[in-house]
Amino acid sequence: MSSSLASSSNLDGSDDTSPQQKQSKKPKYSRFTQQELPACKPLLTPGIVIGIFALVAVLFIPIGLASLSASEAVVEVIDRYDADCVPNDMHGKELDFIQNSSTNKTCTRRLTIPKTMKSPVHIYYELDNFYQNHRRYVKSRSDKQLLQPSKEAETKVCAPEGNTPDGKPIVPCGLIAWSLFNDTYQFSINSDSIQVNKKNIAWASDRSHKFSKDVYPKNFQKGALIGGGKLNESIPLSEQEDLIVWMRTAALPTFRKLYGRIEKDLNANEEITVVIENNYNTYSFGGQKKLVLSTATWIGGKNNFLGVAYLTVGGLCLSLVLAFIVLYLFKPRY
Amino acid sequence: MRSPEPLLSPPKPGLPPEEPSTSTSSTKLPGPVPSPILKSSSSRRTHSRSYSQETVTFAEILRQSSRPIDFEPNGNGFAPNSTQLPNFLRSSTRRNSGRIGSQRDLSDDEARFIYINEPARTHGSVKFVNNAISTSKYTVITFLPRNLFEQFHRVAYIYFLILGALNFVPQLGVFTPALGILPLAFVLFVTAVKDAYEDFRRHRSDNTENSRTSTVLTDGEFQPKMWKDIQVGDIIRVTNNETLPCDMVLLATSDPTGVAYVQTINLDGESNLKTRYAKQETLSTPPERMMGLVKCEQPNRNIYGFLANAEINGKKVSLGPSNIILRGCELKNTNWIIGVAVYTGSDTKVMLNNSGAPSKRSRLESHMNRETISLSVLLGLICTIVMVLAGIWLFVHEEDVGITPFYRKYDFEGKNKDTYNWYGKGGMIVFTFMSAVILFQVMIPISLYISMELVRLGQAFFMIQDKQMYHKATKSKFQCRALNINEDLGQIRYVFSDKTGTLTENKMEFQCASVYGSDFSGSSDGTNENITSVKADGVVLRPKTIVKTDPKLHELLRNGTGRDADRARDFFLALATCNTIVPIEMETADPNVRLLEYQGESPDEQALVYAAAAYGVMLIERTSGHIIVDVFGQQQSYNVLGLHEFDSDRKRMSVIIGCPDKSVKLFVKGADSSMFTVLDKTLNLDVTHLTETHLQNYSNVGLRTLVIGMRDLTSEEFEEWQSAYERASTALLGRGTQLRAIASKMESDLVLLGATGIEDKLQQGVPEAIEKLRQAGIKVWVLTGDKQETAISIGFSCRLLTGEMNQIVINANSRDSCRKSLADAVALSEKMMRNSGEQQALIIDGNSLVYVLETELEEQLFKVATRCDVVLCCRVAPLQKAGIVALIKNRTDDMTLAIGDGANDVSMIQMADVGIGISGQEGRQAVMASDFAMAQFRFLVPLLLVHGHWNYQRMAYMILYNFYRNAVYVFVLFWFVLYTAFTLTNAINEWSAVLYSVVYTAVPTIVVAILDKDLSRSTLMNHPQLYGSGQREEKYNIKLFIGFMLDSLWQSLVIFFLPYLAYRHTDVDWSGLGDLWILGIVILVNLNLAIDVVRWNWVTHAAIWGSIAATWICVIVIDSIWMLPGFWAIYHMMATWRFWFCLLAVIIVGLIPHFVGKAFLEHTMPSDIQIAREVEKFNNPTGTTSMPRVLGESVTTDIEVQMIQQQLQQSQS
Repeated sequence: MSSSLASSSNLDGSDDTSPQQKQSKKPKYSRFTQQELPACKPLLTPGIVIGIFALVAVLFIPIGLASLSASEAVVEVIDRYDADCVPNDMHGKELDFIQNSSTNKTCTRRLTIPKTMKSPVHIYYELDNFYQNHRRYVKSRSDKQLLQPSKEAETKVCAPEGNTPDGKPIVPCGLIAWSLFNDTYQFSINSDSIQVNKKNIAWASDRSHKFSKDVYPKNFQKGALIGGGKLNESIPLSEQEDLIVWMRTAALPTFRKLYGRIEKDLNANEEITVVIENNYNTYSFGGQKKLVLSTATWIGGKNNFLGVAYLTVGGLCLSLVLAFIVLYLFKPRY
Repeated sequence: MRSPEPLLSPPKPGLPPEEPSTSTSSTKLPGPVPSPILKSSSSRRTHSRSYSQETVTFAEILRQSSRPIDFEPNGNGFAPNSTQLPNFLRSSTRRNSGRIGSQRDLSDDEARFIYINEPARTHGSVKFVNNAISTSKYTVITFLPRNLFEQFHRVAYIYFLILGALNFVPQLGVFTPALGILPLAFVLFVTAVKDAYEDFRRHRSDNTENSRTSTVLTDGEFQPKMWKDIQVGDIIRVTNNETLPCDMVLLATSDPTGVAYVQTINLDGESNLKTRYAKQETLSTPPERMMGLVKCEQPNRNIYGFLANAEINGKKVSLGPSNIILRGCELKNTNWIIGVAVYTGSDTKVMLNNSGAPSKRSRLESHMNRETISLSVLLGLICTIVMVLAGIWLFVHEEDVGITPFYRKYDFEGKNKDTYNWYGKGGMIVFTFMSAVILFQVMIPISLYISMELVRLGQAFFMIQDKQMYHKATKSKFQCRALNINEDLGQIRYVFSDKTGTLTENKMEFQCASVYGSDFSGSSDGTNENITSVKADGVVLRPKTIVKTDPKLHELLRNGTGRDADRARDFFLALATCNTIVPIEMETADPNVRLLEYQGESPDEQALVYAAAAYGVMLIERTSGHIIVDVFGQQQSYNVLGLHEFDSDRKRMSVIIGCPDKSVKLFVKGADSSMFTVLDKTLNLDVTHLTETHLQNYSNVGLRTLVIGMRDLTSEEFEEWQSAYERASTALLGRGTQLRAIASKMESDLVLLGATGIEDKLQQGVPEAIEKLRQAGIKVWVLTGDKQETAISIGFSCRLLTGEMNQIVINANSRDSCRKSLADAVALSEKMMRNSGEQQALIIDGNSLVYVLETELEEQLFKVATRCDVVLCCRVAPLQKAGIVALIKNRTDDMTLAIGDGANDVSMIQMADVGIGISGQEGRQAVMASDFAMAQFRFLVPLLLVHGHWNYQRMAYMILYNFYRNAVYVFVLFWFVLYTAFTLTNAINEWSAVLYSVVYTAVPTIVVAILDKDLSRSTLMNHPQLYGSGQREEKYNIKLFIGFMLDSLWQSLVIFFLPYLAYRHTDVDWSGLGDLWILGIVILVNLNLAIDVVRWNWVTHAAIWGSIAATWICVIVIDSIWMLPGFWAIYHMMATWRFWFCLLAVIIVGLIPHFVGKAFLEHTMPSDIQIAREVEKFNNPTGTTSMPRVLGESVTTDIEVQMIQQQLQQSQS
């Protein structure tokens, strides 16, 4: 027969109601249970406050200067061609122009290199007002299909570019692939054509793990509405680097994508002739198209913003240092 | 042993009243004497039962129950200065209402029929439950549905469920449907696991309980049987010290009179013994020949009521609460009992009463709801913004969207060649809104709910573990019974305290006696100890408690002659006999010595009986009809011929004693006010005057007083009484009134024997505790059942009252006088308010409160009471206590706390925002009703000042932080949506979105909310003023909320736009930038928390830095899954400087406003807490000494600072 104490707790079913059994345990004393763990108690003393701001300033101003200078060292040539590459007689009818397959889309531009551009010179195309982050758009792809030949029929998420009207799966399916950018550029200096290296423009990780070398394009761009570029059906997806670059959807509606690299220094004041095949339709949504030639430094492409921001914050912190010194001197608390 | 005396014939046994009345005041019992013990206890319990019923109409009831008092013939009437036995008071107010229900008869259809010893037949028509109990909520099968059902009682969960369900609408799928439901699933899962574990423990304890055994009559023999197999109708035999397996009607006991003693500590926590009786009709029948039918009421929760008839062996018997023993009781002092099971298993009263304390909701949580609603409005707002913008976009691009590559409304390949995923512009707009709600749903933080639960658990753990709230003497630690109001402890403004047992120890000590006009207050130093033992049957009996005695009085008793000595002996005989005490013999180490312990309902009575024993009149034995008293070494048997129990009208009790010399005496004891009205005025006025003076002196030093009187009865008087008594006690109607009338008639023309003074010692540390509480800005109100003088003197001794205080006393006998004195009080208090600096105390008695509470005068009382520094309410009834709490609670926003130890405090404990039970002498009813329980009043100080303060600060910060944290996240998503053509693309990949509030940021806030301390214990204890922070709601208010939200707005702007501007015109991909954003958010919010952490111990370090590291790892892991679009993005990001510069800039720029604001505010307008922190740090020898003499010349006028300065100077000098 168990003791009466045990029964008292059992009767109730809960633990805290038993008068003696539970309570009889003396709390174990430890620094933890008494909430007396050794602890550091930082306080915002004037020294610390001023010190922190000074430290931030000291850290930020050099970074700002460095990244600003790095950004300044980048040579960038930008050429917007979407409007200019429409023949004069087609102005106002850009859509007709671009949708008509018989019109001549070739367009020649001349770019002047302002400063010497060290190799490699990156060639980007920049699109504006193109929402690659649109919700309908980002979901319209089948990652399984791209990697596994056996899953080529997994096109459910790709509608309306999933299957051909007769039910065959489109590879690669979805709006993203369908809208593949297909303007092309040919560069030449004084009629010497410049080699554009289009290898390794996509991430190696994508080539090896997201796009299979055993999957080939199928039924692609055969529908009633042509969205963009076509793919050579004899080349596996892993080598379709333009597609791979395109399918890494951009975060923001104004974005650049790597087109290729010129592995040759471009000298200052050289005039480069670019022959553009203006195939891609951005006229339907008023998007801009730009060609960008850019060198790169350790900070990446040209962007003064970070440098300016760092300098601003550094300066702000310096003035905060002064402000707090004034505050502590003229309105001391103690 | 029953003792029918020749002098008088007791009411015939075996003639029970036919009506099955179980009226609390007139329970019919076998034997000549209605059991005093059962009676007073049952009426007391009737009372406590009524608490749960209503607390609102208490004044109405009070007015009813106390009205007769006003018309009492003597002009003095309801004199405020009458003495009361505090626990008798408990039986006072509601006896009328308790009687109503039980007069009804038992109709067949609402009865259950039990054939004794024929369980099979009993179960014939209706199947009763067996005796297996199940306190567990779930079985394996029912667990899932039932647990889910219970969890969804939280409205917030339903909100999240609906959102999760919305996710399954394909058009809306912001998240993968499964992911959308994941956070809720996680929360549900954690709670379910917790519930399952608790239930598993219950299952285990049920099993142990169910497999205990009892001896049950089977096939004519008593055989052991498992508890779970016991059935209604079984005859069970229980031996001494065993626990009852089920509710059973007593049939026979080892005592020839059918008495059994039980201890009900498991039932109601009262440790004293209760008497139960077997019916005469069943006593002598051997159990195996027992035949009969019991017809009893259906199972119910009333543990103090039982209504049944029985036909046993052809005789009709009526059964009442004194004939049933309930499951969980323990048999004591009785060799065995035999009974028939009537209620088993879940039908037993103890199981039916098995419910927890009522749940309360903390102030912070209800405030939190306010903010939750404003967040919902904000959520609605941003969803509307997105919807409107999306609508505009659609209208503007109406022409384009058909073939625009990223939209492509037209489906050229589809069968019907029209559109795909297009529901018309209106439809698209509506869907946009709904998707927005789904995407931004975390604005209302779901994880906050589970975090709060965890934090409260952690806080409760530390409160329970606190060694400063552990009482060594009783080995009891602090108990958290309610887990959801921890933080309320930091905001208390009013403490309502019971006096007896809460401020005092409720250990009554006999101090002095006034015997027939002589005061015996002196005491010996225990040199007379040997006198207090007596020899009986070769065994030395000694009272358990030693009482200080006065040698002069001893001398008078032993050797005195004359009237004074006779009166003195009668005085002590009265003390020894006029009570309801049961003496219990206890074994000691020495086999020849036994300790005599007096068990009874009233500690006062115990003290008096111990006192009588110390003076040589020792109560040795009590049976149903007589008592054995050792009078100066001679054992004498006295017959208890009658007993008039205490009631609130008479305020006295009396016994009629048949002495060995065949004389019959009436002994009366009671409150002085009621006793002086029934004294024989013709006798010895000097003695009366002297006694009154002594009484005055006694109550001035805080003693509880009682007056003792007696009268010799002639045989005519006695016979007249007896016949009247018999008539009255068999009366069908108005039995209680008749009995009271008879008692009043007898209790007249008394000879004054003397008066007693009993001290109820203050608990250790009470004055200091009260002082601290008052320094902390907490108003301490004492509500006591004691009379005014006693209350005031206790008030002084616990430093509630001081000499300089102006006392406003209100004790009125009628509504008009009450109105008048209240008006005076208002005027007076106003005047004193103007001469500021004068402290005032209000003393009001329960009699006046009858006219005040729940009438228009309440407002006036409120005015006066809130102006006063101290309020003492004396002679208040339990429901009035609740009324006073309600007075404050309904009129102000201030938090109230009620603390008490007895059943009479239950109502106020339940009424107050926080109820605290003292697990003391008076059973556990208060503890059962309380939210927190502790052993001593003084623990209130660490509880409120330290733990309450901490809990409030932590919880307040945690709630605000959680709102802020999720708002930052939502705002970032919102900014991104503005750059996605308003189409609710998630800036952050789905997995991170799900993990954000559950993994990335949950642990630090929980750890900080459990462990962070803004100030050390000693600082909080030494400077109670710091408690004001919680009372003023400094850590959680609209201002702070807005501040946090503005901060979140700024930080989200920084987190989004810094990378946006840095990565515009680049080839950054969606996932890479998303990774930068999520890392920015997580690091920023965690560092934001880090800035506010006061105390960095290793757990905090681990939590905060660990969370950031964990987030980073998670992001990397997620980006290593090839299936997800973000594959390898983080590696590419981390390989560039721009990423790191962005992250650094985001963190620094995001934190600057918070940091600047904090540094600026702490410098220019430091809070009390801030100052105390600085003192704590720089006064600490191990701390840094960059700022010595912090408080050298303070410019702050704050009292707080001055206070700390003084302390500092003292400690420095």
